[in-house]
Amino acid sequence: MAAFLLSVHVVAAVIFVGSVTVAVSLFPRYARLALDETTAATAVPGVQLLHRVTRAYAALALAVPVFGVAVAAQLDVLGDAWVQISMALTLLAGVLLAGVVLPGQRRLLDTVTAAPEGSADDGATVAAPARIAEAAALVRRLAMVSGVFNLVWVTVVVLMIVRPGSTTGV
Amino acid sequence: MLHRRLGTAAAVETLSLAALLTNLATAHLPWIASALGPVHGFCYLVVIALAWQPPAPSRVRALSLVPAVGGLLVLRAQRRRAAAVPA
Repeated sequence: MAAFLLSVHVVAAVIFVGSVTVAVSLFPRYARLALDETTAATAVPGVQLLHRVTRAYAALALAVPVFGVAVAAQLDVLGDAWVQISMALTLLAGVLLAGVVLPGQRRLLDTVTAAPEGSADDGATVAAPARIAEAAALVRRLAMVSGVFNLVWVTVVVLMIVRPGSTTGV
Repeated sequence: MLHRRLGTAAAVETLSLAALLTNLATAHLPWIASALGPVHGFCYLVVIALAWQPPAPSRVRALSLVPAVGGLLVLRAQRRRAAAVPA
């Protein structure tokens, strides 16, 4: 049974967490293009798709910690430091995703989809540069957070392979 | 799309718990418990994640936290809201 649970855990990690890390990393690049008037038309659908991928696969990625805890319980390693540190890092990644990345993506998406209407209206063009500058700052923050997010997952994967303190070896 | 996913997750959440409890009361096979336990836990969390994504009143969101039937309660609350809006 541990082999089955471990298979589900690893497959979910590769497919769901993998997709989320790719979408989270690509989002700032396409958001930058979407904020530029010359490239907005081609980049906006991409930004929308990346946000949908992030949102949908983030929910599916919940399978990874759930099945991971089940495997750890079966193998009786829940008390091991490498498992607990991994769980804490996974929690950190989850908080970053739900607390910073997804709301930030949502706000940028609202900005880039509302931009054409704003520029058509004379009253809104005055506020547009300020809004674009604010959005650009948000893009930079999302790019930084996506780097941290991916680094957290790299650390967790290394912990899963090296398992410091474990007697079973690599 | 989101509604259909929530429906699936809610159904599996409740059915998997029913199967777990049936197993506990009857045969009590350990492999059923190990396989369905994480499935139930996963669906419980997915229901919460999906219920918090669209803008919704905090009361509807809080319903998703109810064990066993949270997803079904959220679906019922959403149906009632949808029925109340056009009227």
